[in-house]
Amino acid sequence: MQDRLEALERAFRDALREAADVPAAVEAVRVRFLGKKGELTALLKSVGALQAALRPAAGAAINAARDRLEAALGEAAGSARSAAETASVDASMIDVSLPPRTFPHGAIHPVTATRRDLEAIFRSMGFTVEIGPEVEDDRHNFEALNIPKDHPARDATDTFYLPGGLLLRTHTSPVQIRTMEALAPPIRMICPGRVYRKDLDATHLPMFHQLEALVVDEGISLADLKGTCAAVWSRFFGASVAIRLRPGYFPFVEPGCEFDVSCRVCDGKGCRVCKGTGWIELGGAGMVHPAVFEAVGIDPERYTGFAFGLGIDRIAMMRHAVDDLRLLVEGDVRFLEQFAC
Amino acid sequence: MLISIAWLSELIAVDATPSAIAAALTSRGLTVDAVTEVPGDTVLDLDVPANRPDALGHRGVAREVAAAFGRRLVAPRPGPAVSGPPLAGIDVTIEDPALCGRYTARLVRGVTVGASPTWVVARLEACGLRSINNVVDVSNLVMLELGQPVHFFDAARLTGPAIVIRGAREGERLTTLDGVERVLAPGMVVIADGSGPVALGGVMGGARTEIHSGTKDVLIEAAWFTPAAVRRTARGLGIVTDASQRFERGCDPEAPAAAQDLAALWLTELSGGRPAPGTIDRRQRSFEPARLTVRLARAATLLGYRPEARAAEEALAAIELSPGRDGDTIAVTVPSWRVDLTREADVVEEIGRALGYDKVPTALPPSAPRASASPPPPIEDAARDRLASRGFHEAIQYAMIAADEDERFVAAGAPAPVPLDNPIAAGLSVLRRSLLPGLVRTADQNVRRGTADVRLFEIGRVFLGRGPGAFPEEPLRAGFVWAGAATPPHWSAPSRPADAYDAGGIVEDVLALAPGKGPFLRERASLPALHPGQSILWRDGTGRAVAWCGALHPALAGTRAFSTPPFVGEIDLTALGPDLPGPVLARTVPNLPAASRDLSLVLDRGTRASAVVAALSRVPSPAPATFTWLDRYEGPGLAKDEVSMTLRVILQPRERTLLDAETESYRQALIAALSAVEGARLRRTEA
Repeated sequence: MQDRLEALERAFRDALREAADVPAAVEAVRVRFLGKKGELTALLKSVGALQAALRPAAGAAINAARDRLEAALGEAAGSARSAAETASVDASMIDVSLPPRTFPHGAIHPVTATRRDLEAIFRSMGFTVEIGPEVEDDRHNFEALNIPKDHPARDATDTFYLPGGLLLRTHTSPVQIRTMEALAPPIRMICPGRVYRKDLDATHLPMFHQLEALVVDEGISLADLKGTCAAVWSRFFGASVAIRLRPGYFPFVEPGCEFDVSCRVCDGKGCRVCKGTGWIELGGAGMVHPAVFEAVGIDPERYTGFAFGLGIDRIAMMRHAVDDLRLLVEGDVRFLEQFAC
Repeated sequence: MLISIAWLSELIAVDATPSAIAAALTSRGLTVDAVTEVPGDTVLDLDVPANRPDALGHRGVAREVAAAFGRRLVAPRPGPAVSGPPLAGIDVTIEDPALCGRYTARLVRGVTVGASPTWVVARLEACGLRSINNVVDVSNLVMLELGQPVHFFDAARLTGPAIVIRGAREGERLTTLDGVERVLAPGMVVIADGSGPVALGGVMGGARTEIHSGTKDVLIEAAWFTPAAVRRTARGLGIVTDASQRFERGCDPEAPAAAQDLAALWLTELSGGRPAPGTIDRRQRSFEPARLTVRLARAATLLGYRPEARAAEEALAAIELSPGRDGDTIAVTVPSWRVDLTREADVVEEIGRALGYDKVPTALPPSAPRASASPPPPIEDAARDRLASRGFHEAIQYAMIAADEDERFVAAGAPAPVPLDNPIAAGLSVLRRSLLPGLVRTADQNVRRGTADVRLFEIGRVFLGRGPGAFPEEPLRAGFVWAGAATPPHWSAPSRPADAYDAGGIVEDVLALAPGKGPFLRERASLPALHPGQSILWRDGTGRAVAWCGALHPALAGTRAFSTPPFVGEIDLTALGPDLPGPVLARTVPNLPAASRDLSLVLDRGTRASAVVAALSRVPSPAPATFTWLDRYEGPGLAKDEVSMTLRVILQPRERTLLDAETESYRQALIAALSAVEGARLRRTEA
């Protein structure tokens, strides 16, 4: 019995070795030795034929052998499974160097993106955003802004006229007028939008984008203008900037000024972006002219206000290092796709 | 305005360098754009704002320099000696005082016309003018020094007896000294003698009476023309001159006397003239100096800091405003050349710019609750993001297009496009009624530049006229163009061209932003610019057309560079907006299993898929049913006019699990209902 058991175990180990790591072969070995009609099962059945005194020892030896066989089979089956998994993974290996499938990425126009960023900053400072018509009348675009007919200030804005005395707005200031007509102070608003001037050359387009801000309340001063500009542009540029006001003339403000922001590229030391001056001209500003308040029925003795305006296109060009204005309106996919997000 | 430093230094003694002078002027609001060295001189290029005509002459600029450096102007030279018989025999009449407030004249006899000396030539050149001769040059010198234009007539060629300043008559003609015959119109300023017009007042002289090589006697005109009248005259004729620019902005009404004197002096010195005694001075308007008061408290409110009283007074005295202070209030008298100072705020600005805007502190306005009058519709930026997320690049296009460009992109009966009175180019002559013609043009340009696949969109307004003088409607639209492949090229699958269903999907992606305006129903579109067989129109819940898309009509696409037909779409965001839906109120998610059945159908080509779904939706169902088309096939195995489609029906019970028998009897009911749909049948028996 002992000899038969040892021979069986040898045969089992040979068979298991031959089965290698093939799961089906390992299973066949299990059936051959441990199945219902397996060799070890048969050996166990033959124990009944032994003398009663020999039976316990033989049974114990066979059971011990079965434990060893089962352990070896379990181990072989596990290693066969993992070998099979490895083979299957190897067979389905992808080429990680190939580009995956993406959805196409569209781009928001840099002028839009700049407008949105500015709007978000102003909104967080309690400004409302207001819009108005692009086709305007003389009153809102000129008269109420202290630019009477036959006034030389109209030269600064070459206007597109439409039949019946209407025009394409030359600035977003008429939205200031409409807002002051609609709301009583305090007012704190911005008006971004498209504007039109009869001008077309390397530095001018007949259509571009402005953003103007207006604050009307009791006791508003140039200091509020300066502080608001500093807060807005420090957030826009992500670094603290200084604001400089220079005297300037716009018919709808008095005192009027131009406002500059310290160059963030060179930190005011002078560079190519600021043309060596340390300052970047951003736009016009000033205290709302009393004639403008009178035109919209706001008492200029009780209320004062500041306004400032700028060209969004120019800011966007500066921000993205765009060197040719025309790229903004040509719709060239090769230009626009750079801004895809 | 070009300013000669050499000239300036004759009017104001200041030892500052040209760049220091430039910096001082800039900080006072007269921005110097460039400082240029020329032989023997330095020239400042001064950007003079429209409200400062006093700075359009060297003397006015010298006043600013004097104020900046605390100096006094050099006194003007005395006028020339006079000789001969007094000025007589010329009668000046201002017929229309609305055109001319003051007209003065003076006679200088016996000039000899010749070349100007080199210093005159150099000075004129420094200021950007060319020397003509020693008489004409004097008029330019006077203008450049005083900012007051003067005009010289050849006195012998004036026909008496009177000079009349009047409005032009309809159709009246004048050949100006540039040799152009001008047809005048009422409202223009005319100087006329006995034979008719001899000059356009404040703009340009006439050829008949101009100075020529044989001129002996010169009549000097120095006047104050009404700014608006000069502007009307110059604009009406399309001419802008050095004189008209100055008169338009408003000259010093007291300058003509000084201008006469200086002109006569230089005619004496440069051309040997002999000024006659006597002068003509007709005033039709009194120019009382404005008296203003400024409250220091008001200045503090506007400037954000309280200017020191003595500093404010000194600043005002430096620009000759003769300030007198009484407590908090300073009274000033505005000199005749400062036509821009008319109210208190103007004087505050003078104080502010003299003391420097760097004195303005930094503050923030107090916060207060604010209402909005006319906020932008939130759907605008939402639609932008959605289109960009679908791979479309945002373009910005002019609102102006060529006159007929959008004709086929608008529905029949649309109002005519709003034309521009003064377009800048023929291709930009009317306001667009659709975003699409511009997008098609832009896409075409992209294809020509070698970009095969183009996806562009724009969100902007179109303009629908309501008659001359009436504000047009300005609906906000989203438009897109899709040319080339449906998906970016990829190694995993062959590329296919975009089609009408791709374009329609983009439209519905945007319509999905406004679910409350639905249901949106599709029908065939009839826009002339679209392929009649491949275009879709959407109507909102009220039946209003809110979007359309399709293949560009072959007749339009054929004239472009596209290799496959481009698809375009336009969505009326104003009709969908303005607001986005509020917060979604969530429904309970069902936790019962859904049952699904597929029906394989054969449809005649003319049968609409929506008709099948509509018929089947009417079959009573044991649980809420949804219908989804799974595939569509045409080709071998089917008749030529047949299409095979699979419809999946999903039953989602909400209260209890469905019994198989219920689902099966529902499927049988669907099959029975199908027999009532014309041109649709089950593909094979699925009993």
